Amino acid sequence: MQENHLAKWLNNELSEEELIVFRQSEEYKSYQKIVAATDNLKSPDFNVDKALLDFQSRTKATEPKVIAMRPYKKFFKVAAAIALLLAASYFYVNTLGQNITTQFAENKEITLPDNSEIVLNADSNISYDEKNWNQKRNINLDGEAFFKVAKGEKFTVATDNGSVTVLGTQFNVENRAGYFEVSCYEGLVSVIYDGKETKLPAGNSFLAINGKITNLDAIKNGHPSWIDKESTFKSIPLKYVLDEFERQHNITVKTQDINLDQLFTGTFSNTDINLALQSISVPSQLKIKLEGTKVLFYAENMP
Amino acid sequence: MKTESNTNICNESVFNSVFKSNSKTVFNFIYYKFGNEEKANDAVQEAFVKLWENCAKVTPEKAKSFLYTVANNLYLNVLKAEKVRLKYADKSLKSTNESPEFIMEGNEFKEKLENALNALPENQRTTFLLNRIDGKKYAEIAEMEGVSVKAIEKRIHLALKSLREKIDGI
Repeated sequence: MQENHLAKWLNNELSEEELIVFRQSEEYKSYQKIVAATDNLKSPDFNVDKALLDFQSRTKATEPKVIAMRPYKKFFKVAAAIALLLAASYFYVNTLGQNITTQFAENKEITLPDNSEIVLNADSNISYDEKNWNQKRNINLDGEAFFKVAKGEKFTVATDNGSVTVLGTQFNVENRAGYFEVSCYEGLVSVIYDGKETKLPAGNSFLAINGKITNLDAIKNGHPSWIDKESTFKSIPLKYVLDEFERQHNITVKTQDINLDQLFTGTFSNTDINLALQSISVPSQLKIKLEGTKVLFYAENMP
Repeated sequence: MKTESNTNICNESVFNSVFKSNSKTVFNFIYYKFGNEEKANDAVQEAFVKLWENCAKVTPEKAKSFLYTVANNLYLNVLKAEKVRLKYADKSLKSTNESPEFIMEGNEFKEKLENALNALPENQRTTFLLNRIDGKKYAEIAEMEGVSVKAIEKRIHLALKSLREKIDGI
């Protein structure tokens, strides 16, 4: 009988002779009974579909690869936000460029990169891009300034009331609330106000008060009076005269029973406050009361 | 010729078919070894999770032996074998009009067989039952267990021998 003959018999691998011998053995019946019984055996129930569902819910719940990527995603999000913020603030700061401001009772002289000069009157602000100045001569003005522009590319003064464009000249721009005045002293300037362009030759002034446009004269080859520490007015409503007085003398003006629309023509000193007060009050027939940093204007015929 | 997507286990439909054709045998394989249904169910899950994680590395031909190796290693030297309980598929045995003595004898025989099976060494029992219940060929069992066909024949032979000796009371 060959090796492992029981296994061979179970697998139907025994030869005829071997089979005859084996069948005659006394154990044969027992083996037959065992094999017959084990043919009927069953393993415990196993639900393949349920096991597969369990498996799928398990692998979906963990998803190891996706979790591993998430921290990086978050990091990149934050990094991108920071980079964007830095870039944006860099460009914003760059566009701001130079920024020059004067306080009350203060004048400043500024020389631009192309040797153009700006004299900034009190309570005014200009900003411009110093880096790209030679490509683009752009000035943002809030307040009043006198410009001596060197010859070159287009020179633009932008204000919230209108813009002034020149090539090379001397001119003054005053831009206050409701008040926009441009005086040309040399050359030719182009004033764009309310979408309309006005050519202003030397010796002319452009004035707009609350949208009402007036053309005035200016001194040829001169300069605005405030450069000589004086403020000069010609038929200007008293309101704007007093505003200017406040700015030049750093003082608070109060009025009582006064018609602020009455026109004023004259000059006041920007250095001597008492002289300036008289210069305003006498021709306008007003009374004044000076108390520290406050001054009260009131009508003369008041009781 | 099969395309790449059809032969890669990472493909979900390929994986599912591997699961459907092998999970029951993995379950039985572990159950015959340790007689613990709960652990056998866990082994199925563990083995297939490992296969899924390594789906890129394991070829479909290697998938089977990979599964049995993982399942086997899971409880190696950890789990103590419990009693393997098996049912009889053919209920008609009981409903025949045989004499009560014969039925009693039959029940007695079943109990003896169960005890004898549990007395077998774990590798003999597993091999024998994979062949008898799951109808696995010797070569298939050899692949699962990672041994030669001759070793499987030896186990079957010894298993039958000791079963008869136990049952006949030698």
